[in-house]
Amino acid sequence: SSHQLSSLPLQILLYVNGIYYIFYFLATLAMIVYKSEVFSYPDDFLAPDLALLLIMAVLEALRLYLGVKGNLTEEEAPLGLSLALTVGSVVLSVYFLVWQTYVLRADVLVNAVLLFSYGLESVLKVVAIAAFVS
Amino acid sequence: SETRAATRARTRTGPAPVTDVAKLCVCDLLVAQCDANCCCDPDCSAADFSLFTTCSVPIVTGDSRLCSQKAAVYSLDVEANPPERIFKLIDQVNPSIFCIHATNYKQALSFSSPEMPTSENFDQLLKEFGSATFSVEPDSWNMNTDAQGPADANETYRYEYGVPVQTVDAFLRLPSPVVSSWCSDMNPAAFLVNQATKCTRSVSVEGCASIQAVSMLFYINSSILAVPKSSQMVNITVQSVVIQSLNGMQTLLNGSDVLRLPMILDELCINVVLGVSYHLTYTDAGEIIEAAASFVLGAINQEALSIEQSFEISFTQVNTTPVPLSGNPGYVVGLPVRAGFRPRGYPFPAEILFAALNTNRHGQFTILQSTSNQDCLAAQGARTPILFGYNMVSGCKLRITAGMKCQPLAQTLLDLLKGQSFPEYVASFGNSQAHDVLDWVPITHLHTSEQRIYNIFQSSCQIPVSLEIAVQWTKYGSLVNPQARIVNVSATITSTTLKQLPSGRERTIPITSSVVFTDISPPAEPGYKAWPTINAKLPFDFFFPFV
Repeated sequence: SSHQLSSLPLQILLYVNGIYYIFYFLATLAMIVYKSEVFSYPDDFLAPDLALLLIMAVLEALRLYLGVKGNLTEEEAPLGLSLALTVGSVVLSVYFLVWQTYVLRADVLVNAVLLFSYGLESVLKVVAIAAFVS
Repeated sequence: SETRAATRARTRTGPAPVTDVAKLCVCDLLVAQCDANCCCDPDCSAADFSLFTTCSVPIVTGDSRLCSQKAAVYSLDVEANPPERIFKLIDQVNPSIFCIHATNYKQALSFSSPEMPTSENFDQLLKEFGSATFSVEPDSWNMNTDAQGPADANETYRYEYGVPVQTVDAFLRLPSPVVSSWCSDMNPAAFLVNQATKCTRSVSVEGCASIQAVSMLFYINSSILAVPKSSQMVNITVQSVVIQSLNGMQTLLNGSDVLRLPMILDELCINVVLGVSYHLTYTDAGEIIEAAASFVLGAINQEALSIEQSFEISFTQVNTTPVPLSGNPGYVVGLPVRAGFRPRGYPFPAEILFAALNTNRHGQFTILQSTSNQDCLAAQGARTPILFGYNMVSGCKLRITAGMKCQPLAQTLLDLLKGQSFPEYVASFGNSQAHDVLDWVPITHLHTSEQRIYNIFQSSCQIPVSLEIAVQWTKYGSLVNPQARIVNVSATITSTTLKQLPSGRERTIPITSSVVFTDISPPAEPGYKAWPTINAKLPFDFFFPFV
């Protein structure tokens, strides 16, 4: 109905996701530090967890940037790339939910919220791409 | 089935840990008997439970940090008649948000079973757990020591006191008796430790060429390393060879660079090593620069089954002549008392003493030695050194015949008692140097006479009959390590009148000499450091205008 094809809900969600991810990153990092102090956390297990967390942060920044750019410029290419990167983020989030060395209840909570927001974002992105293409 | 699995596993690892909370009971200590108040004991019957008052173990859980876990709860229902035990298996939930939901690290929540040692992993386990501390990562420890290795190679090694003297193959050996008097060749000579050992070795004439330890070559074969772990070698040279015949007579050989190996000659085995004396010269940097060995070679006959070998090693610093000390600084009990003279006729400060002309400290201060035939005039001048701390008495019997002249007899007896060179000064410390005059104590000479009655006829002369040397010493220095110091030495000669005998009669009088050491140490006084004083003095011109 309007000339604007950019999706407002997607933009709001991407913005909120960015803020939430900062909280997620700091919380997960703090919990890894806590686990290494309280539990027996040898270096062979600590190193992969930290490395994957950093990779996830980089991936998330890139993904959010592409998503915002694609949505605002109404181009499907960056948005499509962002959708592809979302798959990677989902895999990493599942790692922190299930395959981490120690999965605390707090880990389960933050990762569940993150996965929910990824799911919602993916749906909105598909809708937006469909709108841009047509 | 769990016990069967456990016994099978025991051959390779320890028994499997019990993790089922329903089967875990820490108060079940008696086997096949009911433990009192232990509600989880499987050996207890309902009748036993009815006699309990409380449950000593109310709950058995796993790690409490897990979010949800099984727990076995035991309680006693005292309301029922008779009281009965209630056993419940519940799921315990940890409300904390930081409880462990899951873990992918198997060893996280249980103690690891230790590895059972087998012949394959024994060396690795010994390296890891064999020392005083367990290394968490044994490989990293090894890397550390290897890293120090090349750095140490640049550092020069040196011998230190007590370190075994190394040779090309192993250590310089000084055979010594170990448990019995038989020689053991495994005793290494230690640097700067002067040793002298004697031991017995079994020999035979037939095997004398084959027994290595009776051949000179065995003792000078391997070269000594100048510093530990280096390639610089010092060859052992033969300094002198003394040949000892079967009846004990020793002759020194002139040319000493010939190696004499044992060989059989006329049913005797000659050139058998009876004694070795090593002399090593070292520098103050801990390096051995010279090594010499002196040998005593002897002969053995057919009847000999064993010989006694004696070994000695001594160390001398290069460019010094060794002065044997009798203690450092205090006298050591058993070492000879050092004594000397003050040379007369020296124009300028005659404060130079030198010890008696024989640097052999055993000859500096001596007393008469008793011999088996107790005749004084046939004594042949045998003397024994005075050893610090050892009171000695010796003597002989003097046969006085009719025609003996008094004066020469008195002189002979004086020479007999005092010896040829009776010293004038005695060193107060065991390490007194000849140039420190104050470290030497003069010997006080006293004369007493046995006669109580003063004989107005002074024609009869006095002959000395006894010499008593009284050495007074004191403890000097700190309370925990007192050093013996000689303070006073007095030599008292007691004389008696020689009464002329009618001809044909003879008399025997005893001549004695003795040494007595007396400890005159005053009681120890503790010395405290002085309290620090405040040195507050006004400058002298403080009251300037008024003074």
